[in-house]
Amino acid sequence: MREDAEGKKVLVIQTHGIDTPRRTYSPLFYAMAAASMDMEVLVWFTMDGTSQLKKGAAEKVKLDPKSDVTLKTMLERTKEEGVKLYVCQQSMTLFDMTESDLLDGVEIMGAATIIDLTLGADVVMYF
Amino acid sequence: MSATVKIGKCIIQTDLHYLVEDHSWVRFNDDGTLTVGITDVAENMAGPILHVYPRKKGMRQKGQSLATIESGKWVGPLKAPVSGEILESNPVLDKDPGIVNRSPYGDGWIVRMKPAKLDEERKFLLTGDEAVEAYRKRIEAQSLKACAEVATEGG
Repeated sequence: MREDAEGKKVLVIQTHGIDTPRRTYSPLFYAMAAASMDMEVLVWFTMDGTSQLKKGAAEKVKLDPKSDVTLKTMLERTKEEGVKLYVCQQSMTLFDMTESDLLDGVEIMGAATIIDLTLGADVVMYF
Repeated sequence: MSATVKIGKCIIQTDLHYLVEDHSWVRFNDDGTLTVGITDVAENMAGPILHVYPRKKGMRQKGQSLATIESGKWVGPLKAPVSGEILESNPVLDKDPGIVNRSPYGDGWIVRMKPAKLDEERKFLLTGDEAVEAYRKRIEAQSLKACAEVATEGG
């Protein structure tokens, strides 16, 4: 593995939401992998991705019906690994969401912030 | 033989030292080095381990990643339980990562380290009955099903 990975900034942009469960887990898995390599990792939820962060939504999403692991579990694990979760303020209006509708630990940011984060990242992964 | 205690189906080996919150164990070797690995609780939670990527030799601070461990349903770091220099990693892991599942406290060790701040960091490690009780509380508090006698977590 590359030894210069440590300390790099990884920005993961997630545009897929709860209506496409198969597109929700992998970006979080990659974010956790990068965090486990001591990288600084941010996940930016925008467009349909915003729907993952609405209270009560992610726990209903499962890839494997036999598993106890829900999308909510994955989001919680991601936060536990030190990954920062951001949501696009403008996208929240698509889902009639206010700050009180959001899962704990998610920060609301505006459109200019994503441009700033993109410029400051070493790598951007777009899903 | 080392004494072992079972919590559900998970084994705690009482002669080792543990950083329970990070699921890591430490063995103090006679030559002053440390052997470090993940606990039986961790490997049960992870399920069959597919890849282990240890960091290369060099200094790591407490809490930094010593290795990235991947299973089909989990990926995460083995965090350094103490600060120190990685002297070597287990050469078997590349070809046989499942050794961590089969022998988490033995042949499935991850790295060997030379500790740097053991005098001040040793207090964070628990051993013997104290470690068992701390782990038992953690398993109960977090309802860790991985250690249930009949595992129910399948995802």
